[in-house]
Amino acid sequence: MSASPVETSAFDRPALAIQCGGIDFRNPVLTASGTFGYGKEFEGLMPLSAIGGLVTKGISPNPRFGNPAPRICETAAGMLNSIGLENVGVEGFTSGKLPFLNTCGTKVLVNFFGTTFDEYVDCGERLGKLDGVDCLEMNVSCPNIKAGGIEFGREPQVLGDLVRACRKVIAKPLWVKLTPNTSDIVALAKACAENGADAVSVINTITGMAIDTRTRKPKLATVFGGLSGPAIKPIALRMVYQIHRAKLGIPICGIGGIQNGLDAIEFLLAGASTVQVGTQNFIDPASAERIVREVDEFCRQNAIADLRELVGAIRNP
Amino acid sequence: MLRGDWGRDPLLPRPISLLSVAPDGRADLLAKNVGRGTQLLEGALPGTKVAVLGPLGNGFPEPAADCHDLLVAGGVGMPPLFMQAELAARRGLVDRCEMIYGGRSSRDLVLLGEMRALGLSTCLATEDGSVGRRGRVTAAMEARIDHHRAANQPRKLRVMACGPREMLWAVARIAEPHGIECYLSMEEQMACGIGVCLGCAVPARSRPFRYVCSDGPVFLASDLIIPPAARQAAGSTP
Repeated sequence: MSASPVETSAFDRPALAIQCGGIDFRNPVLTASGTFGYGKEFEGLMPLSAIGGLVTKGISPNPRFGNPAPRICETAAGMLNSIGLENVGVEGFTSGKLPFLNTCGTKVLVNFFGTTFDEYVDCGERLGKLDGVDCLEMNVSCPNIKAGGIEFGREPQVLGDLVRACRKVIAKPLWVKLTPNTSDIVALAKACAENGADAVSVINTITGMAIDTRTRKPKLATVFGGLSGPAIKPIALRMVYQIHRAKLGIPICGIGGIQNGLDAIEFLLAGASTVQVGTQNFIDPASAERIVREVDEFCRQNAIADLRELVGAIRNP
Repeated sequence: MLRGDWGRDPLLPRPISLLSVAPDGRADLLAKNVGRGTQLLEGALPGTKVAVLGPLGNGFPEPAADCHDLLVAGGVGMPPLFMQAELAARRGLVDRCEMIYGGRSSRDLVLLGEMRALGLSTCLATEDGSVGRRGRVTAAMEARIDHHRAANQPRKLRVMACGPREMLWAVARIAEPHGIECYLSMEEQMACGIGVCLGCAVPARSRPFRYVCSDGPVFLASDLIIPPAARQAAGSTP
């Protein structure tokens, strides 16, 4: 860490420290999987020790090369992506990415997934044994090949079984990133809570599509993609609030369209203990650091001595 | 990557190539109004602040005394080739390259005076014949290759190209059987510019995909998977 203690104090103020899902974070601002690479890409653009933690690109047991282009397209106040879960695999991560992460001075959450039940368990077990990994975040928005391609995380029963199986082999904190492509987000959160998850990350991208009217073709090669960015913030906020209100006893990490400190505060008020910044990292790679400062400023202005005062502190209409 | 104070529309920064960098660090960019982002840039008043993350990515190989470079530019793909020519001129090697510059009509061809001022030899092509050769820039490039072959050009010929995707593929297909080293500066949708979003994938030979932002934008054509030419009606020049 090259910056002086005076400059970094905003990131380490006791008032910003918070516990979430079995981890003590120096502040509540994390960066979301798939928008922050393996951390090293942001070296020199932002001091990684300024943020509460980072979530890596989703890791699968073996490397994956991803989907054909076009993989992304811009939409109103958001973007669609269909990258195809491209990643270096467990071995590539362990030898090529983890050594840097061990030196980066922030909490390291490793996102992981599989295409079968066994792959999830295998991947989680291997990653969970690595030194320098603080927490695992399960991506359950992948198609279950054996069940006709429906997302693992869409059926509470399937999700619960998957969480329980992974929990058995993972000693480290285990978070589950919920899919919003459901009619009952609370049922999904409940399945996680009842099967040993330490926290839920809410939400992953929302399935969408866009069409080029000139060519009449879908704008993504895979037709459907995941919508992210400020366009989805009201939906994410609503889902965080619903889960919090259900009093399941599981902490929430709020994700969806956070662009500034006040967006993050909204998620805390709705019931999240921590937040993840996603698409905004593309717009300005130093955003997460700025958002920490803005959260700090809000806390100073509102005499918040402990961030927990804000969690779920939404008032009745 | 460049973005003005645009609120949430458009959301993402725009990848724009450098046209020219002055010794004092000031840079010129050239953009054509093709959508919301470039429209806002075009309408921006002098003194408007924009956020820039860059420079990012690689460039064309440096000008070399023992090479002769055909700089093949299609429309708004011209800037990186102008910058290459400017670099050559600064090194006293402007006679080791030539610009082959095409567009739909004369209105699409800009900065011709600046090219002349560099002492750069230029060959123009327009599809409507309003200036230069009538036809595509790739036909002009083929003619220039034939000329150099006939004249026994003693230096190694290289092709460096930037323009629409189909034009780049056509350039690669022409250069390949001649055994000419060919460099393509590619464009693709991208969100971040720093190898994180993985949006700008192009199919490659050395790996399944390479990334325009972090591996490119300039690639050796021989490392890319060039699709076969689409069949066209005889004589059509769309």
